[in-house]
Amino acid sequence: MTGAKKIKLQNQIQNATVVITPSSKICWAIFIAIALLALAIRLPQLGERPMHTDEAVNSFITGNLLAGETYKYDPHDKHGPALFLFAKPIAQLSGAKNFSGLTETQLRLTPVLIGSAMILLLGCAARMFGFIPCLVAALLFAVAPLTVYYSRYFIHETLFVAASLGLMISGWQTLKENSLKLAALTGLCAGLLLACKETAAIHFFALALAAFTVWLTTDRKQFPSSKVIATSFLVFIATTILLFTWFGKNWGALAELSHAVSRFAARAGGEGHAKPFGYYFNLLDPMFILWLLVAAGIYSVFCELAEGKGRAPFALLIYGLATLFIYSAIPYKQPWLALNLWLPFALLAGFGVKGILNEIKGSNGRWFVAVAGGFLLLTLGAQTQALVFQKPADEKNPFAYAHTTDDILGLPVKLEEICRAKNISEPRIAVVMPDAWPLPWYLRKFSNVGYWQPEQTIGAADFFITTTEPPASLTNRLNDLRPEFFGVRPNVLVMLWTPQKSEAAK
Amino acid sequence: MKPFILFTAVLAVTASAFAEDMVALKTDLPKPLMVGTPVPISIPKLEAKIKKFPEFQVPAGTVNLAKGKKVSSSDNEPVIGSLDLITDGDKEGDEGSWVELGSNKQWVQIDLEKTASISAIVVWHFHSQERVYRDVIVQISDDPKFEKDVTTVYDNSAAGKDLPYIESYLGKLVDAKGTKGRYVRLSSAGNTTNKLNHYIEVEVFGKPAA
Repeated sequence: MTGAKKIKLQNQIQNATVVITPSSKICWAIFIAIALLALAIRLPQLGERPMHTDEAVNSFITGNLLAGETYKYDPHDKHGPALFLFAKPIAQLSGAKNFSGLTETQLRLTPVLIGSAMILLLGCAARMFGFIPCLVAALLFAVAPLTVYYSRYFIHETLFVAASLGLMISGWQTLKENSLKLAALTGLCAGLLLACKETAAIHFFALALAAFTVWLTTDRKQFPSSKVIATSFLVFIATTILLFTWFGKNWGALAELSHAVSRFAARAGGEGHAKPFGYYFNLLDPMFILWLLVAAGIYSVFCELAEGKGRAPFALLIYGLATLFIYSAIPYKQPWLALNLWLPFALLAGFGVKGILNEIKGSNGRWFVAVAGGFLLLTLGAQTQALVFQKPADEKNPFAYAHTTDDILGLPVKLEEICRAKNISEPRIAVVMPDAWPLPWYLRKFSNVGYWQPEQTIGAADFFITTTEPPASLTNRLNDLRPEFFGVRPNVLVMLWTPQKSEAAK
Repeated sequence: MKPFILFTAVLAVTASAFAEDMVALKTDLPKPLMVGTPVPISIPKLEAKIKKFPEFQVPAGTVNLAKGKKVSSSDNEPVIGSLDLITDGDKEGDEGSWVELGSNKQWVQIDLEKTASISAIVVWHFHSQERVYRDVIVQISDDPKFEKDVTTVYDNSAAGKDLPYIESYLGKLVDAKGTKGRYVRLSSAGNTTNKLNHYIEVEVFGKPAA
């Protein structure tokens, strides 16, 4: 190669925009490697964090299903059946047979596997959004504390986000290819999303708004055929009915589902969980570095749109802004809901990286971006180490919301100690309090545990567990017992009433 | 009859000359941070939640001997705050008013500089949320190492007779029964929210020993 040609080629390379799209095999190898990394990050110490109340409730439902009971949909904070569709077989495969036999690890394996598989879904999304944005989003999903924390949390959120990404990808491909098979897949994803959580309605609205805005602002040619729309809709209805009725075993669930609207409208008002509008902004990225990338991503999306390209990124932007606004405007807020916003957030940050790479001419600059990206991932990894593994239940941890404290782990240990000392083989334990969760999880190994409301007539028992204000009806029965406090979560104490030491020693 | 009245009068005057005047113990209380009014419970085995600072008589001239005194600890590098916060007179429950010591059993020790007759000790561990500190022990001694002549005035550990209690802005009043000593040591072993130990303020009410 002559010197002139070499210089020309170098200039061409330096001035070219970055269109890094490796071959399909390499692309999948990369996403599989990131998914395995995500799995490796999520698996350690899975059973060490105490069970949050919501996890305990979900574990109870899983336990009942393992014992052969039918799933019964309850719209009062218990959400849909989709989580248990995955959790039951995973728990069964790991050897669990009922509630008392379950462990934290067996249950949390479900969100861990789904959270890792989510990376592969981002691999599928590369056809829609491009390789670089999906690669960046996959790395952020694999490493960031928010996603790692809630991928190890036995609640519906991780599956919900995976289903929403599945709906986005299949919906987009359906629009492009007008295929009935893809339409059916879209209906399936939508049904799964609703069967995760009733808040799917917010995402249906945001996705419809995004699709409509893109249709309105572009050529207005692409519109799915009536067959495609009908197929999607019918599969969505069929999936919803099948899952909520637990495959036709509980038809009453459909009536309950209709009540969910009023229930969630009331909940949206706050119900003790009201937080300011900007709550999720800080939770998504307290350092505000990723927000800068998102801002660059938004600029990049508009640049592509101006060139007549990038309809999928524009739809993503509308979806992201709509969900961010709706979730922020609703007074009721929980930290795990930020996971729903993380998907568009991470992808838009990916567009930001792509835009920066395109702007930087020269390999030195691109290396600098790669090193800065590596440093950012290491910083996120360090945060994950602190928030997920070192202080997962600490009240200062922003993800540990009203979390069960380590102190409660001592309660079953204490009960077992006293039972051994007093030779009680099957202790009768009376739990008397308005809201006992997550105690059923911690008392699941004891076969004779009763739960009473304070105003009820309380049965005979060897041990009592009450709030710090035991009901007057128990006064005489508690006189000869020694109280011991246990912390359930910050600001919530329970009292274990046990026979006095001298009696226990007899 | 007259000699008897005279004898009684002389006895009364003599006794009053030797007896100390007793006055009500007073301390400034911080503002409450916990929402809700605690409800008293009438179960003998349970340390009742209190609504107001208890009435407690101390000899006239009793003062807080701990104010501004040097504090040492089993954890000389607190996680948050510094040991001098324990005797600085600030009893508020907000961050910046308390010292956070390491996990499991830890103690703090106040050097009163002189042996004193101690009537009462009031301790505030933490009162911005409902929590209970485990194995709270309060001891007095003239030995800075607490190896000899130690008097335990409060103990709600498994070995002690006192009952665990819920922290509040009213603090915990311990009857020291006039015990004489130069050093006061308080220990605890974590709490119901985490394994750490906290102190907002400790007051030691007494008079320098004669």
